[in-house]
Parts: sequence; structure tokens; C-alpha cells
Amino acid sequence: MNLPQSQVSNKYRRLIRKLEPAFYIAPAFVVLTVVLLYPLGYALWLSFHEWTLRTFKQGIPFIGFQNYTDLFSNPDFLNSIKITFTFVFLAISFEFILGMGLALLLNQELKGRGLFRSMILLPMMCTNVVIGLIWRLLLNYQYGLVNYYLGRLGILPIEWLSSPKVAMASVVLVDVWNTTSFVALMLLAGLQSLPDEPYEAAKMDGASELQSFFFLTLPLLKPIILVTLLWRFIDTFRIFDVVYLLTAGGPARATETVSIYIYRYGFQSFNLGVAAASAFIMLLIMLVFAGLLARSIGQEE
Amino acid sequence: MQSNFPRLVKRLSKIFIYILVILAVFLSIAPIVYLVLTSFKEPELTFVIPPVWSFTPTLKNYKEVLSSTDFNKYFLNSVITALSTTAIALTLGTLAAYGFSRFRFRGHFWLKMSSLIPQMLPPIAIIVPLYVLFSRLDWIDTRQSLIISYLTFTIPLCTWMMIGFFDDVPIELEEAAMIDGCSRFGALSRISLPLVVPGMAATAILAFLYCWNEFLYAVILTGRNARTLPVIITSFMTNKSVLWGRIAASGTLVLIPVLIFALLAQRYLVRGLAKGAVKG
Repeated sequence: MNLPQSQVSNKYRRLIRKLEPAFYIAPAFVVLTVVLLYPLGYALWLSFHEWTLRTFKQGIPFIGFQNYTDLFSNPDFLNSIKITFTFVFLAISFEFILGMGLALLLNQELKGRGLFRSMILLPMMCTNVVIGLIWRLLLNYQYGLVNYYLGRLGILPIEWLSSPKVAMASVVLVDVWNTTSFVALMLLAGLQSLPDEPYEAAKMDGASELQSFFFLTLPLLKPIILVTLLWRFIDTFRIFDVVYLLTAGGPARATETVSIYIYRYGFQSFNLGVAAASAFIMLLIMLVFAGLLARSIGQEE
Repeated sequence: MQSNFPRLVKRLSKIFIYILVILAVFLSIAPIVYLVLTSFKEPELTFVIPPVWSFTPTLKNYKEVLSSTDFNKYFLNSVITALSTTAIALTLGTLAAYGFSRFRFRGHFWLKMSSLIPQMLPPIAIIVPLYVLFSRLDWIDTRQSLIISYLTFTIPLCTWMMIGFFDDVPIELEEAAMIDGCSRFGALSRISLPLVVPGMAATAILAFLYCWNEFLYAVILTGRNARTLPVIITSFMTNKSVLWGRIAASGTLVLIPVLIFALLAQRYLVRGLAKGAVKG
């Protein structure tokens, strides 16, 4: 009589043990799913319908994939994708080069390192609205401090925000100001966890500092570089508020990222179907790139 | 003379490093200092070129900000929204992070990665559906609609950061407690949780700041009642004029908690973000 019961309770126990992680992990996932299920479902529905100010009162027609196919022949949308990739590439490149330099600097033994670190950290914690507005003032053609001090150095004033050729550089500049510290501090955390032994061995073998940076430091930092890249990719690809407050996507769409394109379609032309379809294409692109990055992170583990 | 030469080079390069670090610090804080200074200038002085650096500070801009809007109410909205979101997200995120840190199961890595997907959603993409949802519930312009929206990015953030902090706590400590008859949940709450408190504080600060700084959801989902501070700043920009003095004053007020937290938590913040995925 006793035996089967203990078997049952053993089975039961094993099941409990198997389900134990779910007890911890599930609540977060359930809340996220509940919050996001309706918005995502509704957005998907919208993307297959023609929702405009003209149609929404007399029933919204189902149009299949037309919103999607239209987008691929829409020069403004293709332009916004190109702008987004340009922005992502330029911003992340500069942030990594400068961030690595800054991390190497802060890794030296300096007096007051904690204080330096706090101050360098400030830009990444600032309210985006404030960042956008400060820089709009600083980069103002007539009254901005940047042009004034460049003028003192003998450089002619630059149309930072009003020239289509320069606006992209300005937006990148502001993003670099905003988040280089994030990259630097991530890399710094990585640098500080590096083991000493390989460096001592390299020194014995007569490697120069430059060689040990390229052949030791960079490979050892690879996992943290990938994680930082993932975070920066997610944030730059969907950038909205800073760019919106600086240039609102202009001039002549020179800085119109996908998010701003969606905003224009969704909230200015009220073409919600097209806006939703663009959002899904954007999400798909992000998932592919983030997935690739995540896979490399997984291989490192 | 000869033997002194390498030391001289070393000292010079040390000075060079200090110069570079101070340059980086200057570039990082100069725009913020400029904002704060502008907020204490007479509005007429904002655009004077060459810029005026010595002036009698005035509280005029602050007085106008505090009197022209319901600043206190919006401040309270910002605090309540950010605190409630942080509390919920930190609880859920800490539990999930514990699960990811202490158990290995099939699909572990990809489930962990997929917790970042909500972080990836461009807010602009889900804001229309959220608006429709909340207007059906009659929740437009309420704090709970903002709190719910903010959970979409704070839960992933908290989970991610806390995984790193739990990985730092040796599993042996918990095992010892469980051998002594503690349940796993008991081991978590009595052994590990106290050890990750600094990490939780850092995570909470970051989540709080994300909510505090959020603009897009706030500008679209709220109106007169539930509006938060970042939206107030832009309300000083109208089609007719941009009131830079008031923008600077309100911007400075919004940055105060940011400045405090940056000083308090810098050491832990970065470690948390960095560790999430690096440790297996």
C-alpha cells in the first residue's frame, strides 16, 4: 500500500522541482504578456487594414498585405530606414572608439576617480527632453555657444541643425555626448574584471602595449563588447525624443529615423495602418539584428 | 640624468592622462552647467552674444515656472508614477532574475534573451494601440495607464540587472541553508536577498530614472491630470515663442534627482548592466 503512494509523491516531487523555476520567472513574463498582448495584437490588426481619417467612420477595410507592400515602394520609408542605419552605424562607431579610450583612461590609477566617473556618467542619466533642448540652444546658428566659440577660433558659423548635410552629424554628436559614458563605463567594468596573468606572460614574451591591447584586451572583452553593442543597438535603432526635439526629422527628412517616420504617419496624417505596418517592419529588423547579437553572446557563454 | 628620463616620461604621460580625463569631464558637464546657469539668468540675457558669464542670479524663471503651471501636482505625478512602476518592476524582475540565475533548463538562454524583446519594442509602435486600450478602459490621463506602460521597459531592465547581482552570490551559501532545513524561498529571502540589496538599490535607481525621464508615453497618454514633468518642459515651447528661461528652470528642477542618484549609485549601476549576460 505504501509503495505506490511514495512513487506518486516522488513523481509529484519531481514535477514540482521541474516547475520550480517557473514559479520565479513566470510572474514577470505573465505581466509583460498581459500588458503587451492587446497592443501588439491590435497593432497587427491595424497593419492589415486601411485606417485613415477618411475610412474610420465607414468601417475600416481589410487590405491584406497592401500596407506592407506599399511601404517597400515608398521612398520616404526607405529613406527613413537608410537614415536609421546611418545613424546607428555612425553613433555606435564613435561611441565605441571614444568610449574605449575613456575606459582605458579611467582604468588608470587616478586620484578622485569616483568623482570623475560620476560626472562622466551624468549625460547618460539626463532627461532626454532636457538633452534635446539644451543642444538645440547650444547649436543654434545665431545665438548658440558652439558657433560663438568656434568663431573665436576663427571658424565660420555652421548651420548645425538647419543644413541637411550637417544635421545628421549634429544628431550623432548629441547622441555621442549622451551615451559615450554608458559605453565607457560598461567597458571599464569589463577592463576591471580582466585577469593579470596573460598580460604578465605577454610582457615576458616582449609584446608591446599596443599588441597586448589588440591581441589580449579586445578578445577578452568580447563578451562585454557584444552586450554593450546589443544595448546600444536597441536604443539607437528606435531613437525618437532627442532627434525629435533637435530637428523633428528635418531638414528635408535628413534626420527622419523610422520612429519619426511612424510618428509622422500615425500622429500627423493619422494613417494608422501604414504606421503599424512600418512599426512591424522595424521590429522585425531589430529582432533579426538583436537575435544575431544574442547568438554571439550565447556562443561566448 | 639618464635614469631620470623614463620617470619623466611616466610623469608627463600621467599629466597627459589627467588632462584628457578633465577634458572628458568638462565636455560631459558643460552643457548641464550651461543649462543651470541659464536658468538663473534674466530671460533677456539668454541670447546675448557674446555670452554673459557673470550676472546677478535671479529666481525669476523659477518663480514663473512654479506659478504658471501646477508644478507641484506634476511633480507628485512624476514621483508616484516612477515609484510605483519601480516597486512592481523590481519585485517581478528580482524574482525572475533569481529564477534565471539559479536554475538551468531547456531554452534557458533564449528565454533570458527574449525577456529583452519588450525593451526592443519602439514605444512609437505600441502607443496607438495602448491609447485605444486605455480609452476603452476610460484610463486616459490616469497614473495607472502610465505605470502599466512603463512596466514594459522596466521589468526587462530589472530582470537583466538583477541576474548579474544574483550570479555574484555563491550558490553554496543557499545550499548550506537548505541543508539546514530552509526552503528555497526561505534561502532566497534570508540568505541571498540581503546580499543583493546594494544591487537592488542600483537597479531601482536606474528604473526610477527611466520612468522619471520618459517623455513619449507621457505626452500622448496623459492630459491635465496625470501629466509628468518632462512634458511640462516642452509646454514652454509654443508656436509663437520658446521661453528658454523657463525651459532651463524646469529642466534644472527635473535634473535634481538625476544628479543626486548619479553621485550615489555610479559604482553599482555599471556593474549591474555589464554583468547581465556575460556570466553564464
